[in-house]
Amino acid sequence: MSFVREFIAHLFPRVVRRNDLKLTYTFCLGGLAFTAFLLLMASGLLLLFYYQPTAEGAFASILFLEEQVAGGKYLRSLHRLSSHALLILLFLHTLRVIWTGAYRPPRQLNWLIGFALLCLALFAGYTGYLLPMDQLALWATQTGMELLHTLPGGGILHAFLVPDGIGGSLSLLRFYALHIVVLPAAMLILISLHFYRVRKDKGVLPYL
Amino acid sequence: MEESGRRRRRLIAALIAAAGAVFFLGRFFRPLTRTAEVRLDVPREPVPADGALVYARARVALVRDGDRIQALDLTCTHLGCTVTVTPTELVCPCHGSRFDRKGKVLEGPAQRPLKQLRLEEREDRWVVTV
Repeated sequence: MSFVREFIAHLFPRVVRRNDLKLTYTFCLGGLAFTAFLLLMASGLLLLFYYQPTAEGAFASILFLEEQVAGGKYLRSLHRLSSHALLILLFLHTLRVIWTGAYRPPRQLNWLIGFALLCLALFAGYTGYLLPMDQLALWATQTGMELLHTLPGGGILHAFLVPDGIGGSLSLLRFYALHIVVLPAAMLILISLHFYRVRKDKGVLPYL
Repeated sequence: MEESGRRRRRLIAALIAAAGAVFFLGRFFRPLTRTAEVRLDVPREPVPADGALVYARARVALVRDGDRIQALDLTCTHLGCTVTVTPTELVCPCHGSRFDRKGKVLEGPAQRPLKQLRLEEREDRWVVTV
């Protein structure tokens, strides 16, 4: 635990230069994306108490959540809208980094970490899409998984993600496991690294 | 000298461990149950001449062509939507691929013919397996 405390302590700079606080340089897009991520974790944690990851029970559990649970509909909307917000903010954040040239050395490693985070966020959104098991979810996943076959090694990926086809119980369970454990954990680790690198690279200001 | 030897040994050990992990996980994520999957099991009805019996839920059509009856998988080979059976051809509602009654592609974006499935007559039932 001391490691975590140390880590958090080092996230904050010893001194803040006035220029660092200029809003129009970063537009806080990265921080806002992180806020969306925290909202997703919080709302997702609550959704976890009602969602049933079975092919038969998934959609019924969504209906139950929306109709019988106080604030259920609100929470689900919050989770969905936060996911849209996260992707939009990450995209804008990426654009800002390109515009201000923040990907250039010595920050090239953080650019790669950030790109990995963008891909993980997209994949997290994609795995979450199937979970309600309604028509939209089913067909979107069906077409997306079919697209995998255009990639080299796509067949192996397809067999890993949807071993019993879209709508099968194993496939749903795998998407669920990825969505609630694997991807958030991977993202948390990379987010921590991302912030650590920002500090190591002496903040966000351009090197003059 | 000694240091580089130790580093090499550690690297080789790590590589062997990684290969083992990849092998195990590859096996772990591929369950063994690959029996013939029954896609359709229905009471046998006559297939109309030059017509078809369509089972949309199971995504199977039994198409008669002269006196041959064949089972076609209605999963579009482009992106997996369910194709619609019309009197003359099969059309995909998603992106407009067209197939003839044998499953051959008439028009893209699909590039591969529809899959033919195994059709069996068991007693008085049609049974279609993958």
